[in-house]
Amino acid sequence: PRGSRVLFQQPLLRLGRPGLGRVRAKGKLADLPGNATAARSAPETRPRPSARAFETVRFLCTFRRVQTTRGAWFFCTKPAAPGAAGTPPRPRPAMRRTREEVDATLQIAKLNAAELLPTVHCLGFGPGASAAAGDFCLLELEPALCEQLEAGHSLVIRGDKDEQAVLCSRDKTYDLKIADTSNMLLFIPGCKTPDQLQMEETHCNIIHTEIFGFSNNYWEVRRCRPKLKKLKKLLMENTYEGPDSQKEKDSSHPKYTTEDLLDRIQASEEEIMAQLQVLNACEIRGYWRILEFDYEMKLLNHVTQLVDSESWPFSKVPLSICLQELGPLEPEEMIEHCLKCYGKKYIEDGEVYFELSADKICRATAQMLLQNAVKFNLTEFQEVWQQSVPEGMVTRLDQLKGLALVDRHSRPEIIFLLKVDDLPEDNQERFNSLFSLREKWTEGDIAPYIQ
Amino acid sequence: MVQIVICSAGAGGLAEWVLMELQGEIEARYSTGLAGNLLGDLHYTTEGIPVLIVGHHILYGKIIHLEKPFAVLVKHTPGEPDCDEFGCKSGTQYLVRALIKNKILFKTRPKPIITNVPKKV
Repeated sequence: PRGSRVLFQQPLLRLGRPGLGRVRAKGKLADLPGNATAARSAPETRPRPSARAFETVRFLCTFRRVQTTRGAWFFCTKPAAPGAAGTPPRPRPAMRRTREEVDATLQIAKLNAAELLPTVHCLGFGPGASAAAGDFCLLELEPALCEQLEAGHSLVIRGDKDEQAVLCSRDKTYDLKIADTSNMLLFIPGCKTPDQLQMEETHCNIIHTEIFGFSNNYWEVRRCRPKLKKLKKLLMENTYEGPDSQKEKDSSHPKYTTEDLLDRIQASEEEIMAQLQVLNACEIRGYWRILEFDYEMKLLNHVTQLVDSESWPFSKVPLSICLQELGPLEPEEMIEHCLKCYGKKYIEDGEVYFELSADKICRATAQMLLQNAVKFNLTEFQEVWQQSVPEGMVTRLDQLKGLALVDRHSRPEIIFLLKVDDLPEDNQERFNSLFSLREKWTEGDIAPYIQ
Repeated sequence: MVQIVICSAGAGGLAEWVLMELQGEIEARYSTGLAGNLLGDLHYTTEGIPVLIVGHHILYGKIIHLEKPFAVLVKHTPGEPDCDEFGCKSGTQYLVRALIKNKILFKTRPKPIITNVPKKV
C-alpha cells in the first residue's frame, strides 16, 4: 500500500518511521545492542544493553547505494519525545559485554542457543583500528612465500621510482600489485574457528576479541621472471680485458659488488647468482666482471691448445699442470675461471680435474665465427665451425639454441647470430621483436627465445 | 633503487589471526571514531556456520580455508624501537605481525531483527 516501503529497498539499517506497514520497534528496540538511549523506556528487570557508541554497518545493496537521512537515525536513537531533532546522545564508554547481555540478544534475535556452540566472540575495535591507511596492510601469499616467512626469512621489495615494484624471496621474484575490493576485510587476532573451539578441552563462554584493523585492499603477488637484463647491461659497462689492460689501472670505470647488484637489480639473490654463472662472470677482487669476449676466447684457446699438446682426454684436465704451464701467460685465477666456465670440476686421488664440456666450447667457437658477419652460408659455416673446434669434438646445430638461428627457406640456407640476451625483457615486446624478424616460427625454433 | 625489507619473526613468533570479510562499509555512529567500540557478537552454530549479530542485523556466513594465506604487515619507520629487535636494516620496513589462513565470509543479505510487528487494528 502507498506509504509503506518494503524493508529491503531501504538501506537495511533504517527501520523507518512508525507508520502503516512499517516495523515499529519502539520499546523493544531497547533490548537490541546499539540503542542505549531507547533503553530508558525498557523495564528495569531486563538486563541493560551495553552502551555501544557506534556500530552499525551500512550495507550497500548490490545494485545501488542508498543514502541514509537523519530521520531514520533519529527514530532509533531519539529520546521519548517524538520529532526531537536534538543532538545525538552522549556516547558512553565502551563496557565489556557480559554473557547475560549476549544471551538476551540471542533471545531477541530468536536464535536457539542450543544450536550454537557455547562460546561467543564479542568483537570490538582495538585502539589502533582507525590508524592511517598504510600503517598496516595485507599481503596475499603464495604457499612458497608463506613457508619462507614461517621459517623466519625476510622478503624484500625492490624497485626504482620509475619501475614496477617486485617482491623477492631468497630465490624467487614476484610482481607486486594492489588489489582493491568492495568488501571490508577485518583482521582479528585471537579469533577461533569452530574447529579450534571444538578441539578445546574447556569451553569458555565468552571471548572479548579486539579487531586489529581493517582494509579494503591488499597486496597481490604473482611469480614473474626476474628482471636480469639490467645485470648484463651493468657489467658490460666495464668488461674485463685482462690485468694488464689500461682500463684496470683507471678506477673511474664502474664496478659492482654483490651488494651493489642487489641494490640495483629487481631479482632475488639466488636468481642473480645463477645469472652471473650463465654470463660467465667472474668475481675479481670483490667485484663481479664479465670478460670481454676476445679475452675469454684467448683464455679458452690457451687451455684447448695445452690439452691438445699434452694429449689429455677432454674429461680429465688437471688443474695444477694448467696453472703451471699457463701461469706465465695469464693470471692463475683467470685460468681457473675459464676451466670452471667451460668444464666441471671434480677431485680424483686428491687431484683437481676438469671435465671439459664439448657443447659449451663448440658454442663459444660458433659465436666467435658468427659475430664477424651479418649472416653465413649454412654449409660453409658448418665446415669452418667443425674445423675450428678442438680435434675430437663434434659440432651439432642444437648446441646453438638461443644463440643463432637457421633460415631453411632462403636459398642458399643461412645462419645468423640471434642472442636471447639481446631480446627485450617484456613479454609483449619480445614477441613483437621476434615476429618482426620472422613472420612464422616453428615451435622448435622459437622455444629457446621464449622460455 | 629502494629496498624495503619485510621482516618475519619466524613460525615461533608468528601468530595466526582470522580474516572477516563483510560486504559494506563500517562507520562510527558518532564522531569518536571506531577505536574502542564494539562491533557485534560472533557465534558459531554446531554445524560450524558463523553467525554475526551487528546492530539490528543477523548475518550468516561461512568459514573458508584460504589457499593463499595472508600476512598482516605493520609498517615501521626508522627510529622506532621495535625494528632493532628483529635485527632489520635501517630504513622503512614492514614487520609481519601475523599470518591469516582462514577467513569468515559474510556475503548473504543480512536479516533484520524484527522485534515487534504491529497487528492490524
